[in-house]
Amino acid sequence: MTRWLSWTLAVASILFEARAHAAELGHEGDLASVEIHGFASQGFILTSSNNYLADNTTHGSFQYSEIGLNFTKPLVDKLSLGLQLFAQDLGPTGNYDAKMDWFYLDYHWQDWLGFRAGRVKIPFGLYNEINDVDSARTAVLLPQSVYPVANVNYLLAQTGAELYGYLGLHAAGALDYHAYAGTILVDTLVPPGSPYQVVDLNVPYVTGGRLLWETPLQGLRVGGSLQALRIDATLLDNAMLVSVRIPAILWVASAEYAVHNLVFSTEYSRWYVKSDSTNEALFPASPIVTSERGYAMVTYRAAPWLQPGVYYSLLFPNIDDRSGRENMQHDVATTVRFDLNSNWLVKLEGHYMSGTAGLASSLNDNAPLNALERNWGVFLVKTTAYF
Amino acid sequence: MHGPTAIRWLLGLTLVAICATVLAQSRPPPAYVVIVDPNNPVTSVERKFLEETFLKKITRWPNDDAMHPADLAPNSPVRRKFTEDVLNRSVEAVKGYWQQRIFSGRDVPPPEFGSDQEVVDYVLKHAGAVGYVSGAAELGPARVLTVR
Repeated sequence: MTRWLSWTLAVASILFEARAHAAELGHEGDLASVEIHGFASQGFILTSSNNYLADNTTHGSFQYSEIGLNFTKPLVDKLSLGLQLFAQDLGPTGNYDAKMDWFYLDYHWQDWLGFRAGRVKIPFGLYNEINDVDSARTAVLLPQSVYPVANVNYLLAQTGAELYGYLGLHAAGALDYHAYAGTILVDTLVPPGSPYQVVDLNVPYVTGGRLLWETPLQGLRVGGSLQALRIDATLLDNAMLVSVRIPAILWVASAEYAVHNLVFSTEYSRWYVKSDSTNEALFPASPIVTSERGYAMVTYRAAPWLQPGVYYSLLFPNIDDRSGRENMQHDVATTVRFDLNSNWLVKLEGHYMSGTAGLASSLNDNAPLNALERNWGVFLVKTTAYF
Repeated sequence: MHGPTAIRWLLGLTLVAICATVLAQSRPPPAYVVIVDPNNPVTSVERKFLEETFLKKITRWPNDDAMHPADLAPNSPVRRKFTEDVLNRSVEAVKGYWQQRIFSGRDVPPPEFGSDQEVVDYVLKHAGAVGYVSGAAELGPARVLTVR
């Protein structure tokens, strides 16, 4: 069903290319009409060695698909609602199970203060909210050190409430801010090869905020994001239960400068993760482990239909141990986006990787990360139709 | 002043007036004008205000009425000029901005219209609406905003 819907959306987007704007239930510009947007993506992943994001990528994998359809409707002045249905398949995750990507009831009281309740994309860094939206960015993969697609179930959206606002500061620019609190609804999905069976998994809280300053220099914005959450899990291993608590604090400092057709962005982040366990023989507890993440990226709109880009991304999962291939991931990527028309794009992307910290043992026959190939490459092709 | 001299002066002034009128009328119209409905009390705005309006970063007029910006179609040369002058970016960059807003559930872009007349009709129909059209467009009762 989802595959059928995906292809129908794709074909419809291409056939109706001339109609560049959204579908609307109602007359064009009718303030009370329902606005409808959608996208469908299909990707291909090929690695020189090591399976990455999906099984069998060393021979090429098409297990990289996304589809979304959203509806937005203003109810009365200042009050609106919206929802997006989303399904994806990325290696062992997703499997085309349709879910609500986001839904909200929004009360935009003033520009400097609005309130939103529902399942809301988490404003973390510059691009977390578009981590599953291919048409909204140049690269196929955002820098994976800060925006790991494998963690998208945990980091993309929270169910709860959000306060937000935009405050003009006259000659000093403007502030864009969000604060949120809620929970994260995650599937009790067990990666293949995991020694545990997940009996229960929940996130009792996630809270945080983002502040971006749009500086007086046109196109330059800087800011920071902070997030705290805790994951509680009950695991079963050889008929024995173990309860695990994993509190985490994440922050990221961000800067983006858009000048003419160039966009420079860079972010630096640290994540602090601790784990407590009721049975250390089954699941070892650990003190706070600090990971370090960052990237620098440049994209350039050479023509309305052509956008190349490059980035360098680094990840150290534990800043106290930076030696060995399993404790680092350097990623040099080059990408090019072709907008074939206003509703259809194709992207090509290559990565040179050094280190294995971004890999999953479960996708590589449970081989330890230090046994995987140190230097490897990734080639991706992705096409997206959208309206 | 003798009669013939006065007539010469009168003819000269008439000629100057005609030439000035012809010159004024032959000056090309501006690439675009920003229009609002005639009941909108705002007469002039800063460029930054319009940028924030069309990116929907601000949504209320100073009197707290809701704003309803209206765009021309992306392939319109008037839109391209307006977007580059007022929003300080390309139409494609604005489209990218809206892709981020749409699919993250933050907002939807202003409605797009295929002709000046449709924009004028929209502005006249909706209180708080603001649009831009070619400088040569027939505006009817719509009022032009001065952009500072």
